[in-house]
Amino acid sequence: MSTLEVVGLRKSFGGLLATADVSFSVAAHSLTALIGPNGAGKTTLFNLITNLFAADAGTVTFDGVALGGLSSSAIAKLGVIRTFQTARVFPGMTVLENVLAGRHRLLPHGLAAQLTWMPYARRAERALAQRALALLDLVGLADQADSPATQLPMGAQKLLEVIRALMAQPRLLLLDEPAAGLNDTETAELSALLRAIQACGVTIVVVEHNMSLVMGIADQIVVLEAGRMIATGTPAAIQCNPRVIEAYLGAEAA
Amino acid sequence: MTQFIQIIIGGIQQGSIYALLALGFSLVYRVTGVINLAQGAFCTLGALTAYSLETSVGLPPLLAALGAILATTALAAVAGRALFVPGLARLTNSNMLMMTAGLLTLFEGLVLVIWGSQPYAMPPFSGEKPWRVAGLLLPTQGVWVFGVTLAIIVALGWMLARTRLGQSLRACSENPTAARLMGVDVPRMQLFAFALAGAIGAAAGVVVAPAIALQFDTGRLLTISGFIAVAIGGIASFPGAIAGGLLLGLVGQLATAYVSSLFSNALALGLLLIVLVWRPSGLIRAKLARRSDVRDEARVWMHVSRLPSAMAWRGGGLLICLGLAAPFLLGQALLGALIITLILFIALIGQDVLMGYGGQISLGQAGFMAIGGYTAAYLATEHAWAPIAGVVAGMGLSVACAIVLAAVTLRLRGLYMALATLAFGLLIDSCAIGFDDITGGPSGMVGIPDFSVAGFAFATPMRMYFLVLALVVLIFVAVAGAMRSGFGRALQAIRTDPLAAAALGVNVVGCKMAAFALSATLASLAGSLYAFQFHFLSPDMVGTPRSLELVSMLVIGGEGTLIGPLLGAAVLTILPTVFQPLAIYKTLASGALLAGCSLYLPQGMFGLIVRLLPGQKRPIAA
Ligand SMILES: Nc1ncnc2c1ncn2[C@@H]1O[C@H](COP(=O)(O)OP(=O)(O)OP(=O)(O)O)[C@@H](O)[C@H]1O
Ligand SMILES: [Mg+2]
Repeated sequence: MSTLEVVGLRKSFGGLLATADVSFSVAAHSLTALIGPNGAGKTTLFNLITNLFAADAGTVTFDGVALGGLSSSAIAKLGVIRTFQTARVFPGMTVLENVLAGRHRLLPHGLAAQLTWMPYARRAERALAQRALALLDLVGLADQADSPATQLPMGAQKLLEVIRALMAQPRLLLLDEPAAGLNDTETAELSALLRAIQACGVTIVVVEHNMSLVMGIADQIVVLEAGRMIATGTPAAIQCNPRVIEAYLGAEAA
Repeated sequence: MTQFIQIIIGGIQQGSIYALLALGFSLVYRVTGVINLAQGAFCTLGALTAYSLETSVGLPPLLAALGAILATTALAAVAGRALFVPGLARLTNSNMLMMTAGLLTLFEGLVLVIWGSQPYAMPPFSGEKPWRVAGLLLPTQGVWVFGVTLAIIVALGWMLARTRLGQSLRACSENPTAARLMGVDVPRMQLFAFALAGAIGAAAGVVVAPAIALQFDTGRLLTISGFIAVAIGGIASFPGAIAGGLLLGLVGQLATAYVSSLFSNALALGLLLIVLVWRPSGLIRAKLARRSDVRDEARVWMHVSRLPSAMAWRGGGLLICLGLAAPFLLGQALLGALIITLILFIALIGQDVLMGYGGQISLGQAGFMAIGGYTAAYLATEHAWAPIAGVVAGMGLSVACAIVLAAVTLRLRGLYMALATLAFGLLIDSCAIGFDDITGGPSGMVGIPDFSVAGFAFATPMRMYFLVLALVVLIFVAVAGAMRSGFGRALQAIRTDPLAAAALGVNVVGCKMAAFALSATLASLAGSLYAFQFHFLSPDMVGTPRSLELVSMLVIGGEGTLIGPLLGAAVLTILPTVFQPLAIYKTLASGALLAGCSLYLPQGMFGLIVRLLPGQKRPIAA
């Protein structure tokens, strides 16, 4: 059973073919890693899936719903939540507020209830704050909850973004290089976190350069090179695929 | 036919003035990416300096003109060095816009202090008698204006195309990072562009002065006209700026001649709105149009000032106690000032939600005050409606206008959004003056009754005070509830990163609309209260100057902090009442405060207080 279905996706920027007829499918509750050298088109693929810009050809469906033509917020409402490669925490807000902002689409109380301090709205806010703090605790940021989010180091900002995405209760979580800027212990924590998220029934697609992280947690790996999909399969199969070794691992070794 | 050509000649004269103004805008914008609202003030400064040099010092006209241009350029350079250029390095584009609004106010205040508020009429350079050419009458000053405009355009074009300085300027405008790598001193070029714009503005002022009546706040009108011209033509291109100026001049003259002078303003604004919606970057688009949104990203420099919750509750309690005691301690005049402060605070809460939290610059808040004020006052005075029904009708009308305005301008952002709200405010201004059957025209509406609810009239200042105080507390508590819950967070997220907010499922359009409607409602309520408080309402009480004043109050008090604007309103309302003899310095001071706050106190007085509290960490730039 697959949730995300990408068929024949193509996008070019001027003369540059950033995504060339990419097709793959992601099984429910699985963790798929998207790898490839710099400029391979991984971020572009995420942008196409979340319809940040329209594809030249091809379709993306999530649980049978076509995502092409939907607005960002409509896609988020389906439960497809993404993070960005450059951490995009909201400046001018504290760490806690950033996490809470992730919950926006699921708030039980509307503007009228907030203006009138309805007891259920206050209760919901308090419960949310507790939940956010618990999640922050998970990545060791709870003691920073009240400091400005942009004061965190880059790695922590990326973790914060993952936590913020989690608050949105994703069904499909798209993470763009979440481990960039993390040290080894933090990376290990992240991989444990991703496993835990997956265990909760969330489907995950992650773009990642860190091979040991990818090989350790992925159920399926999709390899891109210069916009083309050159291989797909289990970590074991990818590791001994000669094209991948040449294109990706070879390039890294050089 | 002759008449038509005569009108066209008038249009070209008028258009040349706008083109010169637009050129100054365009120059600064291309090099720095910022709209310099102080551009019009350079004209007033230049013209009045020349006047004084000629009449008081006794210099010959040409020397006086040159001296005035030099003096204005020097002043521009000082302001650029102290405020504008440092701001470029660390403020967002919208905060830079606020700063230049501060500079405009500062220069206006300076003119007010030096030259007073009376209008000045200057003699034309070459006598009053128009030249006669082929049966046509050419106003001599018009020829001067056109000639000087042409000369400046040619000189500027030559400088940009042929000199090294021009090359560096162009490098800065095309790609500042690359320019820096090539060894161009970018801040220096930015300062140079700002000072040069000052020189162009002063030159424009000197030649234009005889054709218009000049007083301390003419600069603001010139700024607005130039801004409109440049927005129509396309800000990032010099030909666009010039074409926009000429077009605006021609449309204005034709409208005055064939429709009515009353509607020439409205037509210009209509033209602006059409262009904004149809082609947001102007009729002539530059090849390398700067995108304000992209630049903002690089230097977002936001502060987070939060009072600890316990302190907030205690502070709130203290404020309420003070508020309850105040009327028994203060004299008549101060009580009046306090009532005005609180009424303006209601409008400011709305402005803060929209601007401080949502990041949508609104320069037309007073337009909604006018709608609320005039609607309630008209219904109460002419149709004997219960005041409260009139207030509600005003709020309904304001929300309707806000939703239409928001729907029309939603595609616009940052700069263009600011422009559209400014145009809206001006449109309401000209309606308030034009529809004199309803509004009483420029001289205002008199005989507005007391505010009353179910027969109980709030006839004394004391009663009015407690009414307003109760409303303020109610509104403050309600809005605080929303700002510390989901709505406030969504707005703050949208402010800095609408894309990331949308990716989390925030309905960006809906939130902006709601913020717009909320702020219009509150402004409208404030406007109605204002009319009932004074029993009188005139266009200049709720015009564009008031909008700019509200922005000053917001920034000085602390945008994005709910209670901050109260401090801003109090400072700018109560201080001038206490220090009556110094009232003439009010404009100067508020301009200096606005420009200075944007740079040195990013969250205004409130941010300063939070920072000075014991146990608070100093917010660090991110
Ligand atoms: N909006 C855009 N406009 C023009 N070109 C783009 C755009 N987005 C991506 N590209 C180009 O498409 C190619 C793929 O970029 P993409 O960011 O998807 O690569 P990536 O695999 O994410 O690389 P990295 O590992 O560096 O993040 C690059 O050559 C990039 O320059
Ligand atoms: Mg990428």
